[in-house]
Amino acid sequence: MRHPSSLKQEFLKKWIMGLQRCTSSSKKTMTILERKKAIKLSADLAMASARNGTTCWSRALIANASRDHDSRILAEKILGPESESLKKASTMSLIFNNRRIRSKKILKRSCSVRRVRKSLPHQKVFANSIAKRLVKKRTHILKSLVPGGEYMDEISLIEETLDYIAYLRAQVDVMRCVASATQLVNRNGD
Amino acid sequence: MNSASPEMLHCTDMTVLERQRARVKWQEQQQQQSYFGGSIEFGGTSSVFFEQPISQVEGQSFQGLVGDLVLGEMVKPDPGLENRWSELGKFELSNMDFESCGFDMNGAISRTSSCPPKVVAPVTEAKGKVSVPVEKMSSAVGRESCKKRKADKVQNTKVVVEDDTKDKRSKVCAEEGESKITTEQTSTKNTTSNNNRETSSDTSKENSKASEVQKPDYIHVRARRGQATDSHSLAERVRREKISERMKYLQDLVPGCNKITGKAGMLDEIINYVQSLQRQVEFLSMKLAAVNPRLDFNIEDFFGKEIFPACSTNFPTIGMSSEVTNPAYLQFNPSQQVVACCGLEMGINSPEMALRRTISAPIKVSLQQLQPSSTWDADLQNLLNLEFHQGRSTSFPSQPFAGSIEASNLKMEM
Repeated sequence: MRHPSSLKQEFLKKWIMGLQRCTSSSKKTMTILERKKAIKLSADLAMASARNGTTCWSRALIANASRDHDSRILAEKILGPESESLKKASTMSLIFNNRRIRSKKILKRSCSVRRVRKSLPHQKVFANSIAKRLVKKRTHILKSLVPGGEYMDEISLIEETLDYIAYLRAQVDVMRCVASATQLVNRNGD
Repeated sequence: MNSASPEMLHCTDMTVLERQRARVKWQEQQQQQSYFGGSIEFGGTSSVFFEQPISQVEGQSFQGLVGDLVLGEMVKPDPGLENRWSELGKFELSNMDFESCGFDMNGAISRTSSCPPKVVAPVTEAKGKVSVPVEKMSSAVGRESCKKRKADKVQNTKVVVEDDTKDKRSKVCAEEGESKITTEQTSTKNTTSNNNRETSSDTSKENSKASEVQKPDYIHVRARRGQATDSHSLAERVRREKISERMKYLQDLVPGCNKITGKAGMLDEIINYVQSLQRQVEFLSMKLAAVNPRLDFNIEDFFGKEIFPACSTNFPTIGMSSEVTNPAYLQFNPSQQVVACCGLEMGINSPEMALRRTISAPIKVSLQQLQPSSTWDADLQNLLNLEFHQGRSTSFPSQPFAGSIEASNLKMEM
C-alpha cells in the first residue's frame, strides 16, 4: 500500500489531465448532467489508472467505462494517449477472467446442487443455512457494488474491496477539497 | 522389553484393543518384511498367512493365531478377571523367545526403514507405555484402555506431524487403512464391550484424519476433534480462515465496523460504507458540476487559476526563472511527505501543491491570456496561502520550505 498523500496526488494529477483532455476537445457547452457525468467518469478513470491496472476493480472500471457507446467516447478522451493499451489490457484480462471464473461458477453450481441434495434430509443445519443465506445475499450485493465483482470469488472479492475502499476514500477526499476550494473561489469571486 | 511388547500384549491382554494394537504393528512389520511369517514362533502357518496380501485374510488368520498362542483367549473378554493376570505372567515367562524375536524384528524395521522409522518409533513407544501397566498387573482394564487411547492419539499425531514426503504418506495411508479394516473386523467378531468398539472407531477416524490432513499440499491444517476431515471440508476451512483474515483488515478500514461481530453484520457495514462512498463521489461530481455553471468546464479554469497564480506571481518578479520556483515546490513536496501527517490541511495542501508542481510547466505558455483575470488569481492565491499557513503552523517543522512559502506570499502581497 502506498502512502495516501502520494495516492491522492497521483489521482488528482490524472483527474485534471483527463478533464483537460476532455474539455479541450469538446468546445460546445455542456449541460449540468453532462458535466457531472464527465467529472464522475474522469474521476473514476483517474482512480483506475492510478492503480495502473494491477487490480481487478480498476480493470473492470476501465472496461465498463468503455463499454456503452456515449461514455466510450468520453472515456477515450479522458484516458488520452495511454487509453488504448490500458483498455486493451483491461478488457483482455476481464474476458480471460470471465471465462475462467465462469467455468469455476459452473463447477461450483454443480457442487452446490449436490450438496443441497445431500443436506436436505438433515434438517439440523437449519439456523446455519439461514446465516449462510444472509451472508450470501450480502456478498451478492457487495459484488454488484465493487466493479468487476461479479466475476470474483469470495476471497478476491474481499481483497479487491479493501483496495477499492482505500481508493474511493482518496477520491472522495480529493473531490471534496476541490469542491470546497471551488466554492470558496466562487464566493470570493462573486 | 518394550519392543517385544506385541507378543507380550497378546499374552497378557484381554481386551480387543490390545490385540488390535498388536495387529497394527504386526501388519506394519509384515508389510516391510515378508520374512516375518517365517520367524520361529509362529511356524509355517503364520508364514503362509502373512504372505497373503489381503487384509481380511490377515485379520482372520491373525485371530486364529492369537487364539493359538494365548490360551483361553476367547474366554477372556471379561476384563475384570484378576487371575488371568497371573496366568498371563506365566505366559510371559514362557514366551520369552517371542519377545526376543519381536525385538529383532523391530530392529530390522528401523534399520531397513522401508517404513518411515518415525512411525515405528512412536508405535513402540506407545507399546511401551501400554505394556508397563500390563506388567504391573495392578490397574483395571478400563484405565488401561484409556491409556491406550492416549497412546493411540500420540502415535497418530506424530504420524501427522512427521510425515512429509508423499510416498511415505501413501504408505502410512495404506497401512492404516488396512489396520482399520482388520480392527473393525475383529471388533465386530468379538463380542466385547462397546467401549472397545468406540476406541476402534476412534482409531479408524484418527487414521483417516492422519491420511486426510496431508492432502492439501504443504498447507498445515489442523482438524480439531469432531471436525470433518475430508478434503472438501478442509479446503473450505482454509478458505474461511482466509476470508476471516481479510475481513479483519476490512474491519480496521471501515469505520464503525469493529464493534460488529458476525460476518453478515460486517458485510452490511462494508456495503453501507462502499455505497456511501460511491454516493459521495456522485454527489461531489454533481456539486462540482453545479458550482461551475457559467463556463463550460469551469473546473478546468478553476484549476488553471489555481495553478497560474503560483506562476503569475513568480513570473513578473523573477521573470524567466520558473525553474527557480519549481525547485522550491519540489523541495516542498518531499518535506511534506516526510511530515506525513494526514490531517485535513495536509490532505488539501498536498494535492494542490502537487498540481502546481506538475502542471505549472506545460501551462506557462498560455500565461498571458490569463493575466486579465488577475483579481481572481489574487483571491485564489490568498486562499491558498491561507491554507498553506494553516498547514504549516499546525504541522510543518521544515524551515527552508516555509521560507519559500513566505517569499511567495510576500511576492503575492506585492
